[in-house]
Amino acid sequence: MAAAKCPTCKRDVLPRPQNPSFPFCSARCRAVDLGKWLGEEFRVADRTVDEDEDGLRGVPGDGTTEEPN
Amino acid sequence: MDNELNQTPPPKPPADYGAASITVLEGLEAVRKRPGMYIGDTNVYGLHHLVYEVVDNSVDEALAGVCTDIEVVIHVDNSVSVTDNGRGIPVGPHPTVIGMDTVDVVMTKLHAGGKFENSAYKVSGGLHGVGVSCVNALSEWLHLEIQRGGKVYQQKYARGVPQQKVAEIGTSEKRGTKVQFKPDTTIFEVSDYNFDTLSQRLRELAFLNAGLHITITDERTAKNHDFKFEGGIVSFIEFLNKSKQPLNDKVIFFKAEKDGVTLEMAMQWNDGYDERVFTFANNINTHEGGSHLSGFKAALTRTINSYAEKNQLWKDLKGEVPTGEDAREGLAAVISVKLPNPQFEGQTKTKLGNSEIKGLVEQMMNEQLSIWLDENPANAKKVVGKIADASRARIAARKARETVRRKGILDGASLPGKLADCQSRDPAESELYIVEGDSAGGSAKQGRDRRNQAILPLRGKILNVEKARFEKMLTSQEIVTLITALGTGIGKEEYKPDDVRYHRIVIMTDADVDGAHIRTLLLTFFYRQMPELIHKGYLYIAQPPLYKATRNKKDRYLKDDEAKNEYLLTIAGERGHVDGAGGVSNKGEALKELLKQVIKYQDRIEKLAGRKDSRVVDAVVQATTLTAESLLDKAALDASGEPLQEYIEKRYPELDEQLQNGQMKIERMDDKLHSSKKLVFTTLVNGGPRQTVIDTAFLSSPEYKELTMLKGELEKFGPAPYTVKIGDDTHTATNYQQVLKLALDDAQKGIAMQRYKGLGEMNPEQLWETTMDPSNRTLLQVKVEDGPATDTMFTLLMGEEVEPRREFIEKNALSVTNLDI
Repeated sequence: MAAAKCPTCKRDVLPRPQNPSFPFCSARCRAVDLGKWLGEEFRVADRTVDEDEDGLRGVPGDGTTEEPN
Repeated sequence: MDNELNQTPPPKPPADYGAASITVLEGLEAVRKRPGMYIGDTNVYGLHHLVYEVVDNSVDEALAGVCTDIEVVIHVDNSVSVTDNGRGIPVGPHPTVIGMDTVDVVMTKLHAGGKFENSAYKVSGGLHGVGVSCVNALSEWLHLEIQRGGKVYQQKYARGVPQQKVAEIGTSEKRGTKVQFKPDTTIFEVSDYNFDTLSQRLRELAFLNAGLHITITDERTAKNHDFKFEGGIVSFIEFLNKSKQPLNDKVIFFKAEKDGVTLEMAMQWNDGYDERVFTFANNINTHEGGSHLSGFKAALTRTINSYAEKNQLWKDLKGEVPTGEDAREGLAAVISVKLPNPQFEGQTKTKLGNSEIKGLVEQMMNEQLSIWLDENPANAKKVVGKIADASRARIAARKARETVRRKGILDGASLPGKLADCQSRDPAESELYIVEGDSAGGSAKQGRDRRNQAILPLRGKILNVEKARFEKMLTSQEIVTLITALGTGIGKEEYKPDDVRYHRIVIMTDADVDGAHIRTLLLTFFYRQMPELIHKGYLYIAQPPLYKATRNKKDRYLKDDEAKNEYLLTIAGERGHVDGAGGVSNKGEALKELLKQVIKYQDRIEKLAGRKDSRVVDAVVQATTLTAESLLDKAALDASGEPLQEYIEKRYPELDEQLQNGQMKIERMDDKLHSSKKLVFTTLVNGGPRQTVIDTAFLSSPEYKELTMLKGELEKFGPAPYTVKIGDDTHTATNYQQVLKLALDDAQKGIAMQRYKGLGEMNPEQLWETTMDPSNRTLLQVKVEDGPATDTMFTLLMGEEVEPRREFIEKNALSVTNLDI
């Protein structure tokens, strides 16, 4: 299995049993991450203005599935 | 670096290392009485120290330029021999100690040695000159063999006492000294030598004395190491950075000589975070640092700062200046000073005290490092960038600490005002609901069981990043509030997961995209900053219902679409029947099960839609009995053509049209891969051509097998056409999908189906009943598998690339259960 990557510096991290800083590589990288949370740097993309909430609900099909009629 | 020792042999032996250069200071009784004072302790450290004392004498010969090889052997009885090709200890009557041989004076008198007069040795290591006489005093026996002036001499001691007169035992062309000793077991608590410990120190010595050849052999195990580094401390750095990614591609090396002091320095940054700066004075590892280290640190920080400022490389640090610690992050450096009259201070006498050295080191570093930076702009940029990163990391960590302190998380005195806490103080029975939005938070506060359920409303904040793009985040105030409510504290020193105030932490968000966003942020925060809570199984996700069905004035909450279908199909079974041609009729539980099979069939077909035209797949499944084997059977293939066309004509008129006008093609081709035939259907999907390949691989796939199995099940409907009679209506259908749709539509008549868009649409009682009541609710426990997949998920969710993240959330985040969580 490939190693997990540190969310801060993107390098391989040691697995949890050997690594008290997991999922980070080091206490330093965890601290940097905390700084980003408190600095409001972590965001997820929200919907854009021209689509409503329901616009994102389904994954649009490609129309090949016939609806009964 | 070149082999300095070989290149510059002393023009003539600096002074006559004869009997006259030995001065006598003291006897050995004191050493046996208080060994710790002389060699540190009588345990592992002291035991190994004996070897270093002897080896240091040989290294001193090397420093004087008269020795090139040192051989250390651990013998089976745990005695150790050290052999060098130096000048050999002087033999003959001692000039001032009347009646004693110089050899015996060296070996039995404390502080007797050439090192105390600078002429014989310019510089000297050996611990403070107590040297070999100490070793002699603390050895059960010590044997000496000296080759000097064409002759071989021998002397034997027991616990420091000569056992004979120095004896001439042969002749030799060579020169050098061999000391073999066995530590006195009445003094030492341990007797076993550790090969690796000795080997490590000898390797260090070989690094520090470029070109000096040192071997160590363990006769107990036949282990052997052979050290010789022409590169000296440059090789040392390469060794230290062996498994790292270096930043500056070549090790930086400086060397200077002034006033009888030799300074050598080698350094290289790697992409790690450890600082490894080793300092030596006269080959002694100065663990406690001292003047050479302070000079190095001061000059390093100053030189790099002024270079970066001059070249405007730290503009984005906004006035923060990197510290020395930042500059040394990921730095491997070796500083080696060789000087006459070293002064060692500190607890373990491993701190260099000579204050004049600081200025020398500083001056050399300033000059040479500036030159290096100017001459290697590409490397310099990497180094400076690395230091800026370190600085940013340090500042981020500091700010986080300050925020947490300022907002009073750590005093623990006051809980946040937004938290509606529960009455219980027992974490094992207490639950914290983290609720999205203030209105839902209000309902939850009213509906909860206040004895053990606490409510914390969180809203997140929407940020308009560009005209038409929004991003959602948790405010720092909300994070601090959350941490305070949980009671765990945060950060390296303060975080104590065991202090958590609730053993059930329930994330309760709307079943929409906004809810998924907040949930994603919270999950990521817990995973990164409080992973122990997840691993203890304290983190849950609430499952509010998506629908409320009201029938005959009775409410029914339905978790999701699947539950909704199940409910409607049950009603369909209760309220009517579906009849096939030829008198087959299904109703009740049997009808419900059959209709569920239709949904399953439909679902499987749709899953294939990305790769194939699902209409073609449906036709192949329904109209033929093709198997992987029948592809080889021409007759079977021929026979399948007609029913296929008939089915398409009836079920998919638009495909039939394509077939008539030539837009749809059915071709039989060779399948070389499987030494068989394959059917290739070309159809128009959304106006574009699509190829649907029916080959051995597809016909033997589990998907196809399941579809044919479901086809068998569905035959229980009997032959088409079907009469659907649910409630008061009667309809006719020609295929299963139509049957399903009619059944669902008819079942829904007389039922008020309300779709909940958010938690806020439920009143407090409903919220309690459906989502918070322990006897009725469903909680999803959050579990995380450690591994790249989890990591990729969070990277995608939190990364810089907005688009893949967005797509990922849309596809997956709504059903967190599928995410390894």
